[in-house]
Amino acid sequence: MKTMTYVEALRDGMRFEMNKDPNVYLAGEDVGIFGGCFGQTAGLYQEFGPERVIDTPITETAIIGHAVGAAASGLRPIVEIMFIDFTGVCMDEILNQATKMRYMFGGKAKVPMVIRTPCGAGVGAAAQHSQSLEAFFTHIPGIKVVMPSVAADARGLMIAAIRDDNPVMYIEHKGLLGVEGEVPEGDVVVPLGKADIKKEGSDVTIVAWSAMVGKAMNAAASLEKEGISAEVLDPRTLKPLDIDSILSSVAKTGKLVIVHEANKTGGFGGEIAALVADQGFDYLNAPIKRVTAPDSPVPFSPVLEKAYVPGEEKIIAAVKELFA
Amino acid sequence: MEVTKETLLGFYETMVTIRTFEEKAMELFAAGYIPGFVHLYIGEEAVATGVCANLTERDFITSTHRGHGHLIAKGGKIDLMMAELMGKVTGYCKGKGGSMHIADVDLGILGANGIVGAGQPIAAGAAFACKYKKQDNVCVCFFGDGASNRGTFHEALNLASIFKLPVIYVCENNLYGISNCQRDHMNVSDISDRAASYGIPGVSVDGNDVMAVYEAAAEAVKRARKGEGPSMIECKTWRHRGHFEGDPGIYKNAKEQEAWIKKDPIIKLEKKLVEYEYAAEDELNAIKDAAKERIEAAVEFAKNSPDPEPEDVLRDVYAD
Amino acid sequence: MATVGIIANPASGKDIRRLVSYGTVFDNQEKVNIVRRIILGLSAVGVARILYMPDYYGIVPQALDGLKQEDKVSLEVERADIELTADQQDSLNAAIFMRESGVGCIVTLGGDGTNRMVAKGCGNIPLLPVSTGTNNVFPGMIEGTVAGMAAGVVALGIADGPPAVMPSKKLVIYKNGQPVDIALIDAVTLRDRFVGARAIWETERLLQAVVTRGEPHNIGIASVVGNIEPVIPESDEGMALEFGGEGRSVLSPIAPGLIVKVGVKGHKKIMIGDEVRIIRKPCIIALDGEREVEVKEDEEACIKLTFDGPRVVDVRGVLHERVKKWAGERSEG
Repeated sequence: MKTMTYVEALRDGMRFEMNKDPNVYLAGEDVGIFGGCFGQTAGLYQEFGPERVIDTPITETAIIGHAVGAAASGLRPIVEIMFIDFTGVCMDEILNQATKMRYMFGGKAKVPMVIRTPCGAGVGAAAQHSQSLEAFFTHIPGIKVVMPSVAADARGLMIAAIRDDNPVMYIEHKGLLGVEGEVPEGDVVVPLGKADIKKEGSDVTIVAWSAMVGKAMNAAASLEKEGISAEVLDPRTLKPLDIDSILSSVAKTGKLVIVHEANKTGGFGGEIAALVADQGFDYLNAPIKRVTAPDSPVPFSPVLEKAYVPGEEKIIAAVKELFA
Repeated sequence: MEVTKETLLGFYETMVTIRTFEEKAMELFAAGYIPGFVHLYIGEEAVATGVCANLTERDFITSTHRGHGHLIAKGGKIDLMMAELMGKVTGYCKGKGGSMHIADVDLGILGANGIVGAGQPIAAGAAFACKYKKQDNVCVCFFGDGASNRGTFHEALNLASIFKLPVIYVCENNLYGISNCQRDHMNVSDISDRAASYGIPGVSVDGNDVMAVYEAAAEAVKRARKGEGPSMIECKTWRHRGHFEGDPGIYKNAKEQEAWIKKDPIIKLEKKLVEYEYAAEDELNAIKDAAKERIEAAVEFAKNSPDPEPEDVLRDVYAD
Repeated sequence: MATVGIIANPASGKDIRRLVSYGTVFDNQEKVNIVRRIILGLSAVGVARILYMPDYYGIVPQALDGLKQEDKVSLEVERADIELTADQQDSLNAAIFMRESGVGCIVTLGGDGTNRMVAKGCGNIPLLPVSTGTNNVFPGMIEGTVAGMAAGVVALGIADGPPAVMPSKKLVIYKNGQPVDIALIDAVTLRDRFVGARAIWETERLLQAVVTRGEPHNIGIASVVGNIEPVIPESDEGMALEFGGEGRSVLSPIAPGLIVKVGVKGHKKIMIGDEVRIIRKPCIIALDGEREVEVKEDEEACIKLTFDGPRVVDVRGVLHERVKKWAGERSEG
């Protein structure tokens, strides 16, 4: 174990795989000498050289598009889209190319590529640099979606994502990049599609991912003091989703609160709620609650942004409603 | 450029195979054997043939919605293609792709593509892989006049240029983007002009003359293999049929259509072969008959092949 | 009514020499721009009407469309009524149409290839060739504005004959006794069977050549002659060459950026009216840089030098002539 920040951990995951597999390379805007917009790739250019850490022009379509071609021809690209908001620019390459190739070709192609991209509000970057768009991608068959919440997962999921033979959306939260945690060293993988129980509890299940995990943990600590024992579950991978772990938890607690930073309508929380309603209806003794951002773009003013991002108090309030 | 009789007869055979395949597809579509959309390559055979004659199995291509010709010219198997057109489980894509998505990654065919212009960055990526692995293989990207208006064109050519990738952008300019005539969809007459803005050489050739295409592609491929970077070849050609089967092509001027049909690439080559006494008419007919036979066999194979099982829907969404 | 024809070949400056060497990139926007300057030149000297070759791109209509409001010209503009083939045939058909319509001068935008086609159809109409091609010996690099003015002066009948309008030589290609094609600068036979991508760049395939002129500052096969024994456009002689490794080696710029040693086995001056027989067959004859005519083993072919080429406008000569006439008028008046 080693203490690392989340950003160091995800970088170490990339470094580990790049050392292991010469077919792994990294490309994106300012990932080279500049070291990434948030320092995610700092030092890799010096370590691996310009042939494997490649600065591209501002060209999201060609970044993803070339990665599809390179992956289908035997490489394992990690490509960075500087902000998840920019995936709108290259959506065809994700929606119709990377994720469709294998199926359309009758299983005769592999497209092993990782799209690394930061999400999340809280840094005053407003509506085009702050979104949480994971639900877009979970809707597309053919891609996997991972959202680490802690440094250990940032590294372990990165290694798993690079080794996976499918396109993987690796969504890192800007607000978590500097958060430290204990990270195992060496060849330690966090398998895709395996949830993590962050805190055990018996009265209510709180499902949260990415930056919401920390808030859910804080909320659970407060609730504990008021006599409510919350179990906090981080699915870590939204697609494939470890629904079994969620169902087992709900079977134990009978109540479910889902927390995500993304907008409510069409958010992935709705999907989990539907799955639990369908497969775990008998476990439930209260309605399923969702704590999410409102259905507005991410606002700029710190006051408005604070109102936008779901906070602990909202989680606590939602849980308490179930016990009223 | 030295071209032997055998090479030329090889061109002829490929072009005739494509034409016969397409004519059969036309017939099968009309008879209801082929679901969905079919975009035929009739009239453009010289382009795929002349270009792919410079490639090996190790080279890559990206194709388009009008892709049957590219696949055949790159060595695709016609029985698997025909079965795929009919949605059979024995088809190239096990019935999951259809006419617009046939691929054979083992042959370097990175797929026909239903999205106009999507192949351009993918081709840059395949070329990137060739360069990354320090091999001398190359990628050819086929695309149409309409696709050169897409943003993908700009981004891909720019990337290919700055990375000096071994990719050849082959524009099949058939003068129409669906119903939209070139003069109405761009303010350049030679799409090769656009190459200059990316700092890559662009040339225009008669796309109905297989020798012209072959020569230009040979130079471009040579250049790419030597690590001199990308280039663009615009092949002026004409599709004889509508955009897809069922499109009557009312937007085309009848005189224009007539003039271009006269420039049919197969007839052009036939004339040469006979004139040079490389082949007598009956020998050419024998090549045609053999193509017909092979395609009939492919049709039989396809017709007799089973459909996929309904439970196959969920197969091959992900690699294990 | 003084009319000037404009033949702007949209296809010039795009051939394979951009790939095999470093041919000029002449995009059609620049041709539009040049045509604008020509039109303004024509208008300024009082030309009343323009007849232009149509093309898919619409070089001339775009040129007119893009003129600034204050530059809008009042001259009449008419499209030559030809059926478009989108190949070099268009230039020939337009030239014939213009000759039959009685234009006073034809301005061409293209290279040697374009002018060769126009020369086949223009008859006695003076040509003013503006270079936008790849290998350009026949047309010069001339600013469009003054080219327009000079063409206008010729069409208005102010200047004619040397030194304003010069005769030129040409080569006539005969097959089995019949004239089949012409060249303005050079006819080169190649060990080839196909027209293919048209241009010439592989010197190892060269067999014979006949030229109307050749100077060391030329580009293309004419430069080989220029580097042995120059032949100027005005002289009544030409040159025949035979290529081959065993002779002398002549360093020549045979395409833009392509300077190679060309093996020349023999050369000899020829005079107007002389015919040079094609000995090594089968072959392809490239005319003014483009592979055009196929000669089979059993065909008789020869190349004849004549002085029946198109009449060519010398911009410098014409404009000097005009100034001279004005000066005369002023002193008389």
